[in-house]
Amino acid sequence: MAGRFTLTGVEWGRYDASSGRTAGWHDAKPDMSIIEVCQWLQDTEVGTHIRESVWTFPILEGTHLLTIAISVGTLLVMDLRLAGLLFTRWKVSDITKAVMPISIFGFTVMFITGIFLFLSQAVKAYGSIYFKLKILFLVLAGVNALVFELTMRNKIHEWDADAVPPWRARMAGICGMILWAGVIAAGRTMAYNF
Amino acid sequence: MAMDLLPFFKWCDETALANAIRDSRFIFPIIESIHILALTVLVGTVVVVSLRLLGIGLKNMPVRELADGLAPMRNASLAVILATGFMLFTSEAVKCFENPPFWVKMKVLGCAILFQYTVVRWTTRAGHEPGKAQSVAVAVLSLLLWFGVGAAGRAIGFY
Repeated sequence: MAGRFTLTGVEWGRYDASSGRTAGWHDAKPDMSIIEVCQWLQDTEVGTHIRESVWTFPILEGTHLLTIAISVGTLLVMDLRLAGLLFTRWKVSDITKAVMPISIFGFTVMFITGIFLFLSQAVKAYGSIYFKLKILFLVLAGVNALVFELTMRNKIHEWDADAVPPWRARMAGICGMILWAGVIAAGRTMAYNF
Repeated sequence: MAMDLLPFFKWCDETALANAIRDSRFIFPIIESIHILALTVLVGTVVVVSLRLLGIGLKNMPVRELADGLAPMRNASLAVILATGFMLFTSEAVKCFENPPFWVKMKVLGCAILFQYTVVRWTTRAGHEPGKAQSVAVAVLSLLLWFGVGAAGRAIGFY
């Protein structure tokens, strides 16, 4: 039956001419393969709208790019402090406290716009080696941050004022910079793979 | 005026550098990735200094010290952006000539660089604590100009 799901005026269900029925949330089945899930995602009304729009896609992608710059550019300041290369006269926690809210704001907008961009071309993205590399770098950047939080954050008072932090903190900073550069480079290269 | 520049654009299009970039499948994407990485660094420094001028983050650090600390990153990233940007441009100079967002980007870029090295530099100079109105105006303009460059730059590819 033709179920409909609407949210903020957008209908998340679509009539599929090839099968003669409506694709929507109710079409998701527990035994779908990943590629089928991707196909289903980009067939939703939202995915189709973004893909076929004149303005939505460029605006989403422009916002995605600018918020990556906000998020990673500010994170870079923190990573350079952790690596002992910048603002060494200032406490690590002072720099972190100042920079993290901006970075997290940028990351949130980047993540949301990224999900919508993915929705619009899920099958292509799934088939792209650069998309998989990007996700890999993203996950590794998350692991890097998590390891730092779990092993170094609770002892930060011991080395907070050190111009050159302990090697684990320096490694976290350096790995963070390399991994984020990888995320951006792989993300940009996706476009040539499409 | 713009028409007079067409021979220059055509010349750029035919340089050895332009041909080398066009002849390879990989050079353009690599240069573009470096361009975007440098852009990320530049926007990062602009955002941190602008937000500090707006009173967000690093409040106990003087504006001057923050701006000075980030200056090498900003200058180096701008140099990389201009160098890689010229390489990307020269490989499709004539295409750029016919691309309205390209012209918007160049004009906004000129304003952004000029603003950065005159007004922003003067606002964050030594021994000067900018007033509230001046700080906010400079920060907002700086963010608008650099984001404008980024948005127009992205639009080149969509046009």
